[in-house]
Parts: sequence; structure tokens; C-alpha cells
Amino acid sequence: MSASPAIDPRITAPDRSTPARERRLTAVPTTARRRAPRRLFGVIAVAGALTIVLVQMGLGILTTQSSFEIAALTQQQRDLTYQKQILNDESAGLSSPQYLAANAAALGMVIDESPTYLRLSDGAVIGSGKPADTTSSVDAMGRGSVRNALIAGVPLVTDPSAATTETGAAATSAPAAPAPDAATGTAESTTPPSISDGLPTPATR
Amino acid sequence: MRAMTTTTSSRSPRRRTVVALSIVLIVLIAFVVRLVDIQVVNARTHVDDSLAMGLENSRVEYASRGSIVDENGVVLASAVNRYDVQVDPMLAAKGITTVDSGDDDDSGTTTGWPELAAQIAAITGQDAAEVQKTVTDAVAENPDSRYAMIAKNVSTEQYRALADLKLPFLSFPPQSGRVYPDGAVGGNLLGFVGSDGQPLAGLENADNACLASTNGKVVFQQSRDGVVLPGTEVVTQPAVDGGTLKLTIDRDLQWYLGQLIAEQVQNTGSLRGTITVVEAKTGKIRALAEYPSVDPNDPTATPADDRGSRAFSSPFEPGSTFKALTTAIGLDSGSYTPETTVTASSREVLGGDARVSDAFSHGPNTYTPTGVLIDSSNVGISKFAEMIPKQTRYDYLQKFGMGSLSAIDFPGESVGILHPVGDWDTQTFYNTAFGQGLSVTVPQLVGAYQTIANGGLKIPLSLVEGCTAADGTVTDTPSTEGTQVISPDTAHEVGLMLENVATQGELADKIAIPGYRLAIKTGTGEKVDENTGAYKPDAYFTTMIGFAPADDPQYVVAVNLDEPRTVKSSAATAPAFQKAMTQVLKTYRVIPSGTTTPELPKFG
Repeated sequence: MSASPAIDPRITAPDRSTPARERRLTAVPTTARRRAPRRLFGVIAVAGALTIVLVQMGLGILTTQSSFEIAALTQQQRDLTYQKQILNDESAGLSSPQYLAANAAALGMVIDESPTYLRLSDGAVIGSGKPADTTSSVDAMGRGSVRNALIAGVPLVTDPSAATTETGAAATSAPAAPAPDAATGTAESTTPPSISDGLPTPATR
Repeated sequence: MRAMTTTTSSRSPRRRTVVALSIVLIVLIAFVVRLVDIQVVNARTHVDDSLAMGLENSRVEYASRGSIVDENGVVLASAVNRYDVQVDPMLAAKGITTVDSGDDDDSGTTTGWPELAAQIAAITGQDAAEVQKTVTDAVAENPDSRYAMIAKNVSTEQYRALADLKLPFLSFPPQSGRVYPDGAVGGNLLGFVGSDGQPLAGLENADNACLASTNGKVVFQQSRDGVVLPGTEVVTQPAVDGGTLKLTIDRDLQWYLGQLIAEQVQNTGSLRGTITVVEAKTGKIRALAEYPSVDPNDPTATPADDRGSRAFSSPFEPGSTFKALTTAIGLDSGSYTPETTVTASSREVLGGDARVSDAFSHGPNTYTPTGVLIDSSNVGISKFAEMIPKQTRYDYLQKFGMGSLSAIDFPGESVGILHPVGDWDTQTFYNTAFGQGLSVTVPQLVGAYQTIANGGLKIPLSLVEGCTAADGTVTDTPSTEGTQVISPDTAHEVGLMLENVATQGELADKIAIPGYRLAIKTGTGEKVDENTGAYKPDAYFTTMIGFAPADDPQYVVAVNLDEPRTVKSSAATAPAFQKAMTQVLKTYRVIPSGTTTPELPKFG
């Protein structure tokens, strides 16, 4: 007897409580939760898509821009390469021994025939021990015979009135030239006037 | 009621998802199908379309020919850019119409071809009429002509000036040019390249495999106005520069000797001359100067015969310089000793019918081998040669390098003439002892003296130090493996005798270099007339060869003069030899000998 009244409310109780629960669950909170993210996601997605499009456009513009910039710089580099080539063409041959020797000869320098050495360990002088001759062992200026088309007609730095002579044919046609002394002599005599610009320097030998 | 709500709330989103997914899938599949269609099925057509629109283009990446440098790395030959000037005659003949923007006149001003041709000619340095004719001729021949050449190999400066004219009908394909900064310094060895960049002579030709370059190719996409699309450049073939060829030559020494031999040739009225310097212990040629020689910058200025290296290509009868070899052979084979003597007059008939005579007249002298070398007695050396079996002499001469190419294998190199021993008649038997009846090249003779200077060990001569390829690998290094031709003792004995030639010989004063011990031998060989085959009267090929310092030989120097006129004997070579040897010793800072030459007896 005591059991049946006890059972009844238990059976009826869920019947009463269930509708109450359903009402609580189905109504407000779930819809509120679902609707807010959908709108947010939509906005984010659209904004994201827009941003991507914009960024892509921006990058596209920048890439195009820089490709034009690269083209301009490449052009500049090409121009500079041309300039470098032109300058190289101009200076080719100026480093040659013919040009150097002719310039030195124009200053009155000579190539000494016999070497003299100073041995550092004991200060001994080895070799001829004589001062250099006034004549050069070869006459690079007056009888320059190792031809170089690159410096033909290029004036000497040390004597702008002269250029390296291309005497290949000329010297053989004038045989037995009393050459070395005479030629070096003239080279020496023309030296003093050639120091026209800059300070005159003492001629040391 | 509950079942109803669950089906409506869960099934309708699922169906929506399925529908949405399938739509997405269908679209995706459609795209994939289209993608495959574009990229695979019809790929070729689309690529062809793009090509037809000129979107893909390619350019040549020019690689440059390798440089030639001397032993110190100084550039002797390098590549430069040159340009051809091509013209489109059809367009050029119409002239240029410039529309002045400030002017309302539509026609603008027209500059005619003759005027433009004058502008072009002023830059290229040609004759204006000639330039004008190039185009008018081409148009006359074919009115639709699109190609004619105005100038070849113009410099960068000219090319830029022409480009600044902004003439649309000109084009400038780049060409590879070659520049030799030092001109004729070593020109005989370097050789030169033709205007088309092909090597024509010398080392340029012989070592072309090292120097040659391979042009590359780059393919890229471009927009309609020619701007390269970023990231589309693909190198389909890489450009490979040529290797650097390093020579054993010293540039400054080569110049000095070139100038020296030129002056000596001019002073003596010779046809030509050569100075050769070889490092005694390594066989490296440090200089080989010739006159006349070619300036590779302008090879056509030199007669064709003088554009190569005569030192390699023209053998000569060496004359008395060979007596040192005969002496060395006799001593090394044990046929006689330095103390052995022969009695020789200035004229004798030997072996029955062979006439041998000396350059100066003297009575019967009792010569030691040293005396024979000092007086350069033909009769004396002939009598010593009688003591040596001729097969032995022949074998030794071969070992000294006669009759075979030097290790350099220079283009056009001659092997000289060394007749087989079976062909030697009595006269040849004696003549070969003093360097007649056979001919040798300069490198062969220098190689033999290098052997004597280097204790009898012959090192193959070399002119190329090596080839450094663009990737850094080094090839073509010379062989340093020597062959012992004569014993070190024999080499030393012969060296001492040659020293006595330098101190006791008639040219002693002219060749002395204070502080150094020298060993020398002169030679005056008769010249064979190429037309008659007989000896030319009164024409000689003179040689002076020697090494220093004789107590520890470092450098072998040889001076040759072909047909000197003012002095016909070997004295013609003496001043040049003295200067050349001095310069070599200075250049390489060779320490002077601390001793003097021990005197050997001339007569027994």
C-alpha cells in the first residue's frame, strides 16, 4: 500500500517535468547561439575574400610595378655595361710595356745594362757596381719596334707632343741607323721642355 | 509527434548539405575536366596560339672566349664585344618620317636615305657613298630585300652612337671580338683570330679546345610591350665561358727581348731574328721573341709569311753550336776524355774524300776538346767525331731531341732534318759533327742546351702552364718527367768547356756580364738556297746560345740572326746575347756567381 502511492508520483512526475525541460532547452539559448556565429562567419568570410582579392590586386600591382622597375634597372645596367666596354676599349693598350717604356724614355729614363746588387746580410755590393749608362740598352721611344695597333698615334702621357713610333718598316728601310746614341740623345734633349704642367722635378738618376 | 520533429529538424539540413556538396563537386569536376582539356588535351594548340602572339621569346646568353695570360696572370688576349651593323634595305630606302608633335601638319618631315647613310658613315668611318650603295644595290636587286650588312665588328662606342640615331631599320647582332692589350708582344706565339672569331694561328688555334666558349639560351614569356613576365625565365642551356690559358711567358721580358731583337735585326741588316729564353731546370719557355712579328690586333698589317713563329716552323743548319753536342756524346759514350787531343790544321781532307776547313787559317794545333770548342775548329771536331761510332752519334742526337717535335707541338712546327745514319756519306759524317748537313728548329737546339745545363736531364719544353676551365678545373699541365740523356758528370764537363769558350773565346769581352759565370757557344751555319738546293754564297744563319750562371745554370738563352749583313759572323749576335742574358738575370733576380771560371787548357 505504501508502495503504490510512492510509485504513482514517480510515474507522474516525469510526465510533468519533461515538458518543462523541453521548453527550457528548445527556446531561446540555442537559437541565440546559432544565429550569432552564422552572421559573424559570413562577415568574416566575405571580408576575408575581399581582403584576399585586395591583397592579390595589391601584390599584382606591386609585382607589375617592380617588373617595370627591373626593366628600367636592367636598361640602366646595360647602359653602364656599354660604358664600361667603351672605357675598356679606350684604355686597352695603355697598360702595354711598349707604352710604359716609351713614356719612361720620354722622361729621360734608361734601362741599365748591368745589374748591381746590395746583399742585405753583410752590405756587400755584388755585380758591376757602376752607375747606369746614359744610353738605354733598348730605345723604346725612338725605335719602338714591337708594334701595337691599340696605341698607334696615342700621345704619351709624359710627352704629349710624341707618340710611340711604329718604325717597323721605316727603320729597316733606313739601314744601319747610327741609332741608339743619336735617338736617345734627342730623347734626352726634348725632355726638359716636356715638363710643362705640374711642378718641375729634379732629374735624378 | 516526437518522431515528426526529429525528421524535419535533422533531415532537411542533411539534404541541403548533400545538395550543396554535389553542386560543389559537379562544379569542381567541371573545372577539372576543363583544366585537363586546357593543360593536356589541347595544350599544344594553346601553346602554339601563345607563340603566334609572340608571348614566348628566347635570347642567347653570350659566353666569352677565354683569356690568355702570362706566367704572372697579366692578360695577353681577352674577349671584347663587337657588333655587326645590319640594315633592312626595304625600310631604309624609304627614309625616316618624323612627326613633329608641335606641328599640325600630319605629313611630318622626311629624312631621306642618302642623308641617313651619311650619318651612319660618319660613325662607322666608312665612305658615305659606299654605305648608301649597300642599300640601293640591295633594293635594286630585290625590292623586298630585308637584309644587308653595312659594317662588321664595330666597337661598342660606334654601336651606341648608331643606336642613338634611333633608326628602326638597323640591327646590331653582337659578335665576339678579341683584343691583345700588348700588341705584338708574344704575337708570334699567341696567334690571332679571324673577324668571325675563328682562331687562325698560334696558341689561339692550338689551344682552342681550352679557350672556346659555348653560348647559352634563355626562354621567357613576355607581355605585348616586351616586358618579361616575372618568374618565366628558364635557362634551357647554360652559357659556358672559355677557360683561361696560362703561358710560361713573362710579358715584360718578352717585350724587352722583342724590342732588342728588332733593333739587332735592324742594326745588322738581317732578314729576321729570334731570342729564346728557357728555364734550365723546368724546360719552361720564358720568352720567345721574334722579329718581324705579327701584331694580333691587326694581323693583315704583317706579310703572311711573318704571321707565324719561324722559330718553330723554319729549321736551320745550326753550325758550330752542334760541336758542344758532339763533344758531349764523345765524352758520355767514353770515346775520349777531356784530356784527349787531336792534331788539326785549318784545311784537311778526311776519310779519303771529305774536305773540312776552319773559319780561320792556322797550322797544325794539338787541340783538347776545350780548344776545339774555343777556336770552333771544324777539323778538330771532325777528328774527335771519328772516334765515335756514327750509330752512337745518331742515337744520342735523337735522344737530344733532334728529328722529332718538341713537347710543345706548336702549329706548323717542323721536325727539322736528321738523315738516317745509313744515308750518311763521308762528307755528311763529318759535317754533322759541326752542325751542317742537318737542320734543327730553335726549340730543338735550346732543348739540347737545356739538357747540358740541367745535368744531362732533358725536360720537355713547355709554353703552356695550364688551362683553367670556367669551373676551376685545371688541365693541360706540362709534363715534368725528364730523360737522362748524358750523365751529370759529362754535362758538368761540357758546361766547364763552354764556360772557357765564354772566357777564352774571341767574343769574351763582348759578352761578359760582370759578376756572373757564363757558358756559351756560337754557330754560323751555311744556308741552303731553297731554289737550288745548294749552299747560298755569303749568307749565314748565326746563333749564339748559352746559359748562366754557369756554376748553377738557371736560364738558357739563344739568339739567332738570319743572314746578318753588316757583320756576317756570330759576332753579330753577341751584343744582343749579352743584353738579353743580362735582362733575364735581372728579371729573375739571379744571384751573381761567387766564383770565377776555372781555366781549362786549350792545347794538349
